[in-house]
Amino acid sequence: MSIMDHNGGSVIAMVGKDCVAIASDLRLGDRALSISSNFQRIFPITDRIYVGLPGLGTDVATLRERFRFRVNMYTIKEEREIEPETFAHLVSSTLYEHRFGPYFIEPVMAGMSKTPSGGYKPFIAATDLIGCLNFAKDFVVAGTASSKLYGVAEGLWEPDLEPEDLFETISQTLLNAADRDAFSGWGAIVHIITKDKIITRTLKGRMD
Amino acid sequence: MATAPVHQPSGFSFENKLRNDFLVEKGIPLPKATSTGTTIVGCLFKDGIILGADTRATEGPIVADKNCEKIHYITESIRCCGAGTAADTEFTTALISSNMELHGLETGRKPRVVTAMTMLKQYLYRYQGHVGAALVLGGVDATGPQLFTIHPHGSTDKLPYVTMGSGSLAAMAVFESGWKANMEREDALNLVKAAIAAGIFNDLGSGSNIDACIITANHTEMLRNVEMPNQRVQKERDYKFRRGTTAWKKEEVRKLVVDEQVTLLGGGDEMDVS
Amino acid sequence: METSFAITGKGYVLMAADTTAARSIVKMKTDEDKIKTLSPHLLMAYSGEPGDTVQFAEYVERNIRLYQIRNVYALRPAAAASWIRRSLAESLRSRKPYSVNLLLGGYDTSSYNPQLFWIDYLGTMTEVPFAAHGYGAYFALSLLDRYHDPSASLEEGLDTLRRCIDEVSKRLVVTPGKYKVKIVDKDGVREIEL
Repeated sequence: MSIMDHNGGSVIAMVGKDCVAIASDLRLGDRALSISSNFQRIFPITDRIYVGLPGLGTDVATLRERFRFRVNMYTIKEEREIEPETFAHLVSSTLYEHRFGPYFIEPVMAGMSKTPSGGYKPFIAATDLIGCLNFAKDFVVAGTASSKLYGVAEGLWEPDLEPEDLFETISQTLLNAADRDAFSGWGAIVHIITKDKIITRTLKGRMD
Repeated sequence: MATAPVHQPSGFSFENKLRNDFLVEKGIPLPKATSTGTTIVGCLFKDGIILGADTRATEGPIVADKNCEKIHYITESIRCCGAGTAADTEFTTALISSNMELHGLETGRKPRVVTAMTMLKQYLYRYQGHVGAALVLGGVDATGPQLFTIHPHGSTDKLPYVTMGSGSLAAMAVFESGWKANMEREDALNLVKAAIAAGIFNDLGSGSNIDACIITANHTEMLRNVEMPNQRVQKERDYKFRRGTTAWKKEEVRKLVVDEQVTLLGGGDEMDVS
Repeated sequence: METSFAITGKGYVLMAADTTAARSIVKMKTDEDKIKTLSPHLLMAYSGEPGDTVQFAEYVERNIRLYQIRNVYALRPAAAASWIRRSLAESLRSRKPYSVNLLLGGYDTSSYNPQLFWIDYLGTMTEVPFAAHGYGAYFALSLLDRYHDPSASLEEGLDTLRRCIDEVSKRLVVTPGKYKVKIVDKDGVREIEL
């Protein structure tokens, strides 16, 4: 068993019409033993950027602290909020810095980035554990259920979903993939980010 | 108590090395990083160089990205295709591109392809193959068109037509049968497309679309997705869920726009200026 | 085998840890206290590699005490847990890491809430309504899934704890003999005889 499966957990992010969604299950395990059914691995970075950190539990906490530190330094130096694209590169370079002793995390990012005309554009990205960026136009997945998430998302995702439809699509994708993964599940949380509000819903999931 | 480091030293950090070795000692194997099975090629033609690449990124048996970019920018007239560990090709080419820009500013000349090649091979040799980047470097400079391959351990080749990555055998077969010296631009581009297509369709590590880049003495043309032989057809049905399908326990809405209601007190007809 | 449990209830956290100090196959001691009082409203049950456990627990104890002396106020449970987790995560990156698993129970005197944290030697941390470490966890967690009630009175909480201990004594091959039980609530920390 790989170290990436030690604590379990998966994250998915999807693009919709003028909105993005990011979702994760809530399990924290110690190999096969489930410890918590309320482990948060998605964190807000700014008002409009969220990051999900599936992988080894200890690194979830360590990297969260590290990203918070680096984003705060950026905000102080630049005197402005970080943009999602910039944050993606911050994540990527933080992980690649540890190329030869990596953190066991595959981050997934979702956010709304400002356009020059003052509007907002959906943004999602994911990296592998040493920081290789993957900017996708549809969806990104990571974690112990990633192989299942790829399949379900490929079938269910379609372009230009409204926030409420995107919620159903991402929720069903996550719940059904997690049901086929022994190390993910035990409830889920979904964040839908639009230009003017963030809707957070805790889902009812199977408890096995 | 530990203090937060404000100064960040440059270069790789080995702070997790001891911990990861400790975990391996406990019998937990470390995961492998994303590796890209790839087909990348380059060939010489009458006026310059054509580089080609497929657009599939893989994580073991899984296709992680169906349309990634493998032709990286080095300078305006030098480009580099990358195969191997995805993050390594990305960061190595970005680093050398940055150093080439600085080198150009310092010397006041257009930097040469050999310069980039030497920088890359010295960097890769220093890491003894642990930085897993296999590269095809091509460009046109004061000495004419140049084409190199650079292996992860730092060895280099200078050839008129080259291929690399898991699809290199399929692509090379196409080059071996079709390449001629002093080809026309059109013929050379078709040959590169055929070589990449051979990789896409015969090598499982390569797939999706064809990227190409034509570099001549005074112009560089990046042909992103020049051929898309694996376009997905329109789904015949959609699988939209009826709203309300998913049961949820708790909802929290955070509004980012604060709405404000202004109520005028008193008459409110005129401003009090007394 | 070492086992520790903790459960939250209405305004309290109950913690129990076995009292055996073993070396190889020999019981050296049967009245070892494996629950440290870190501050007036904070308890920490520790288990793991002998030697590491006491060394690390004392290190934490002194640092939490130092903080209180310097700042008059003690760290709140969540803050203390965060500091302890970081210490473990940093230790894990050293030549000889501490192999210690912890349960941290406290009563937050500002928000009037009991809090419980599960922490392992890797520095994994999560807040939970109930938790266990050691082989006893395999029996106790499933039992607590069924019987735990976050609004249980102290009597009900103790009954649930007794169930856990009885189950482990009944089903685990190498059962720890005695347990020490401590409680933390608004009045502070005290020991309870089961």
